[in-house]
Amino acid sequence: MKKRGVGYGAFFYGTGYGNGFPDESRAVIEITSSGRFNLYVGVSDVGSGGISVMQQIAQETLKTDGELINIIWNDTSLVLDTGTAAASRQTYNTGNAVKIACEKMRDRINEVIGEKELKTKEDVNEIYNLFLDKNIETRFEGYFKATTSQVNLETGQGNPYWPYTFGIEKAVVEVDTETGKVDVLEIVAAYDAGKIVNPAQAEGQIIGGASMGIGYAIMEEVIVNKGSIKNRSFSDYIIPTSMDMPKVTTYFVEKNEPTGPYGAKGLGEPAMLPTAPAILNAIYNAVGIRLTEFPATCERVLAAIKEKEQRDQEKRDNI
Amino acid sequence: MVEVTITVNGTSYTRKIHPLMRLLDFLRDELKLKGTKEGCGEGECGACTVIMDGRTINSCLVLAASCDGKEIITIEGVGGAELHPIQRAFLEVGAVQCGYCIPGMVLSTKALLDKNLDATEEEIKEAISGNLCRCTGYQKIVEGVKLAQTKMKESRGEACECGRS
Repeated sequence: MKKRGVGYGAFFYGTGYGNGFPDESRAVIEITSSGRFNLYVGVSDVGSGGISVMQQIAQETLKTDGELINIIWNDTSLVLDTGTAAASRQTYNTGNAVKIACEKMRDRINEVIGEKELKTKEDVNEIYNLFLDKNIETRFEGYFKATTSQVNLETGQGNPYWPYTFGIEKAVVEVDTETGKVDVLEIVAAYDAGKIVNPAQAEGQIIGGASMGIGYAIMEEVIVNKGSIKNRSFSDYIIPTSMDMPKVTTYFVEKNEPTGPYGAKGLGEPAMLPTAPAILNAIYNAVGIRLTEFPATCERVLAAIKEKEQRDQEKRDNI
Repeated sequence: MVEVTITVNGTSYTRKIHPLMRLLDFLRDELKLKGTKEGCGEGECGACTVIMDGRTINSCLVLAASCDGKEIITIEGVGGAELHPIQRAFLEVGAVQCGYCIPGMVLSTKALLDKNLDATEEEIKEAISGNLCRCTGYQKIVEGVKLAQTKMKESRGEACECGRS
């Protein structure tokens, strides 16, 4: 028999290195004679979209077009230390550094021409020439350090992370009680990652996270025997394919984070946190079994269903 | 060494190669077409997908010597001076995250849509199910394929001047 269930998983997640560890980002904005800005930033973009986010923040702050900003990234002979693309920290931390650098630049631009937008290369070139005439710097550095402090282990007081990202996911599953097979039919995700800088990319992060979460919940298991991983290929370490993915619906609760760049917070790691718990809760809702071990393979689910049936039978016999 | 003549992206190449050279290495090392990626190297992940005589294959599992006289399309041969509608659609919907699976995804999509431009969502999902992606969760890739269908139908309509209903 196939039984359906609904489950939820909720989380809060501190982004950044945390616990007082120096969490610093730097960025440099430069105006050039070519009628464009150069943004030097050390974001490693491995598909997480950091480069687009930095460009958008720079464009917003400088009041210019994204096409007029060259991004020079990752070349350590050219860029300052931005910290790692880890801990879901780039949008918040490095975004702030980019914003601070660009604000310094825009303040000087305002001094020479006022609040005017810079729409063309000629506009930017005019500023560049005015800067040279007035002996104004053409390069500005931004620095941002997240405010965390070490937690006092005796009192439990401190500020271990700042800021936190929040979210909840709903999973709908179908469990085959004869085979133990679990199908995920639907995921609905709602996240508060502050103001979303790039909605298309943010959705991509959430859907990708959901796919990793589904793999984590029902497929992926590293089998280790005497220190050696036994399933080292995609034929026995199974990850979701396009056929395994249900529809993922994404909602953003864009609550402004006052310390974030334009109110933004981090999203990378949080994207896969609530999926697996939501799926296990949905399995419980469907067939009444509490799994405490990942993944919910056919064997484990079937064994747990059998065990439950036996328990239920014993209860009935005792009455 | 064996001599083979393989047509890749419309150009015929004749090379003397080791009989055990994989098609993947022929493309990447002999022809320097680095768009075709190696993922697992054992035919599971689909990163090395290319089209051979209209069908997708894993180029890591095919010996180049067996491709004599065959016609291959790699990612470099999909667009011309401009991007192919599939590539434009992928960009527009945000189907690309890290990008490693994308050459294979685009070729699997092309092989499908060249045969069946009206493919349903299920057929699309099945057609790209041999291409593993760790970043995107596939949803935006499927949306990209659907947008590509619309774009290709529009350009086909313009090409034959038959109009759209």
